[in-house]
Amino acid sequence: MRSYPELRPVRWDALAVLAVLALAAASALLLWRAPAETGAVTAVISADGEERERIDLTALSPTTITVESRGYTLHVLLSEEEVRVTESDCPTQDCVHTGAIHGSGQSIVCLPARVTVRLEGGAPADGPDLVIG
Amino acid sequence: MKLTTRQLTLCAMLTAMALALSYLENFFPLSAAIPIPGIKLGLANIVTVFALYALGPGQAMLILLARCVLGAVFAGNLNALLFSLLGGVTAMGTMILLSRSRRFSVYGVSIGGAAAHQCGQVAAAVLALGNTAPCYYLPVLLGVSLLTGALTGLVSACLFQALAHTGLTRI
Amino acid sequence: MKVSKKRAAALLAAVCLAGMLSACGGQAEEPSSRQIFAMDTAMALTVYGTESSAAVQAAEEELMRLEALLSRTSEDSPVTALNRAGGRQTVVGEELTALLDAAGTYSRKTGGAFDPTIAPVVLAWGFTTGHNRVPDPEEVASLLETVGMEHVHLDGGTAWMDPETQMDLGGIGKGYASDRMAEIFRRYEIPRATAALGGNVLAWGTRPDGTPWRVGVQDPRSPEDSSALACLLHLENAFAVTSGGYQRHFESEGQSYHHIIDPATGYPAQSGLTSVTVVADCRRDDAAGLPGNGTMCDALSTALFVMGEEKALDFWRTSGLEVELVLVTEDGRVVVTKGLAELFEEIEESGYRYEIVS
Repeated sequence: MRSYPELRPVRWDALAVLAVLALAAASALLLWRAPAETGAVTAVISADGEERERIDLTALSPTTITVESRGYTLHVLLSEEEVRVTESDCPTQDCVHTGAIHGSGQSIVCLPARVTVRLEGGAPADGPDLVIG
Repeated sequence: MKLTTRQLTLCAMLTAMALALSYLENFFPLSAAIPIPGIKLGLANIVTVFALYALGPGQAMLILLARCVLGAVFAGNLNALLFSLLGGVTAMGTMILLSRSRRFSVYGVSIGGAAAHQCGQVAAAVLALGNTAPCYYLPVLLGVSLLTGALTGLVSACLFQALAHTGLTRI
Repeated sequence: MKVSKKRAAALLAAVCLAGMLSACGGQAEEPSSRQIFAMDTAMALTVYGTESSAAVQAAEEELMRLEALLSRTSEDSPVTALNRAGGRQTVVGEELTALLDAAGTYSRKTGGAFDPTIAPVVLAWGFTTGHNRVPDPEEVASLLETVGMEHVHLDGGTAWMDPETQMDLGGIGKGYASDRMAEIFRRYEIPRATAALGGNVLAWGTRPDGTPWRVGVQDPRSPEDSSALACLLHLENAFAVTSGGYQRHFESEGQSYHHIIDPATGYPAQSGLTSVTVVADCRRDDAAGLPGNGTMCDALSTALFVMGEEKALDFWRTSGLEVELVLVTEDGRVVVTKGLAELFEEIEESGYRYEIVS
């Protein structure tokens, strides 16, 4: 035995747990900020790192979009309230199991097809509040 | 790295066991409970933790690389190589650092490794997908890593206890 | 005794706490928004604060009142009465007299580049009726005889104009309406609000996050696409008014004619500008119903569009009026006066070149 490990939890382990928790909390704060208050949300569908569609969900009646990538076909259902992958022929089905997403910042990932569906918040952060002319 | 026949045999055995554990894992699909792509129990990490202590960082890394490459070949999915390599190497690096500090028990080390593994996987997903959407899952993955890390820590602790009386780990 | 003191203190603390809580609850920044069609344009109001719904209600009533006061097409407005008086002295009321006086002032200050009596010429071009045509030069020349604020006379609450002269306050009315909006926001102690009255914007206070309102200046090259901007202004307590030939125009025999008529020629202004935005402070304690900076911005944006880049910048330097400008030129430049240097943001993808002048 090169070095025999301590087999019972020690005080320092709590530090490791706390560090992971802190990292989780920090990343949650950073990545899960509350959606913009203007309900306007845009769904961005990318495949293989390339943006395929950008759909404004404001007042959108339910629409299904087919995304083909890497030999797989995903059916994405978009409406004003939510976005979900209803059908996919990928082996893992994670994208379908993820269910509906509705807030800006949320996303659905399909690894086999290399597809992401991502909701972008309200008016773009650097967009105008109003336009003159 | 020069290996004795005994070391080589042990490495090969552990690699085979890691691969078997990876396969076994498919019967406990964590992603059914938490629908996040690529989420796993990480049972193969038990082998990594054991090898790290019993054989040292060099051979542990060797086992890890062999497991990743062979796993990808067996699965016929070279895409998975990027994920398992980035996740595995990040986890290994973190565990080497944590165990070297000699402050953490096997629990602390494997929790750190599990968390690092998830970070590495997310990084691989970001690379593969070409956008930052996978980052969205990071907080959940880190939370889950606490549990999976504690589980591998527990199994490893039992393992060391059981093997302490055998000569197996005495190189 | 000791106990009752403690109780009193606890009660006091509870009351204070409750008071604070209810104050917080009342301060909830739920805005009231309303779309209003008045003065021939779609108007949008968004008002924050505890009195927001009352203020929006008052604002809507005020806009309807102004529509009735200033309309040139309604049968019973004082402006119509003045236009039909055929030279007789007409009672128009204090408010309209003050507005006519302000119109005269800005007309003089701009050397006639702003002129509310240009209406007959605009009518000849068909912009007010929608039956666009190119009038012949003799017709334009004879109509120009009637144009000019020297044909308008004011006395007390009355006004009279030389026969044939016609008054159209369309070039100043929405600006005056934004002055009135500011007055209402002040009266209701509104912390923040925006009012967009067809090319006239009032950015009252700041955004809910405390940063200035982000006001986009429409790119005159793509008037249909409201996401195409020439630049972005960060405005706090300000009026901003844009005038541009792109807003209303027609084509005839391959030639494009827009609705901003140069009072000097009677033809659409060919000044090399595609839009002019005038920005000024909106806080005035002495407003009291008088035309203010909103009216000024509206009048100046038309006048400076007619003047063209060089004269507009000269005017900005020498007039003594506290305004800032954004000029968009036909040759693809956005010229910003230095008071806006810190407040404007370039739009990279617009392809414009940006210049700051002092």
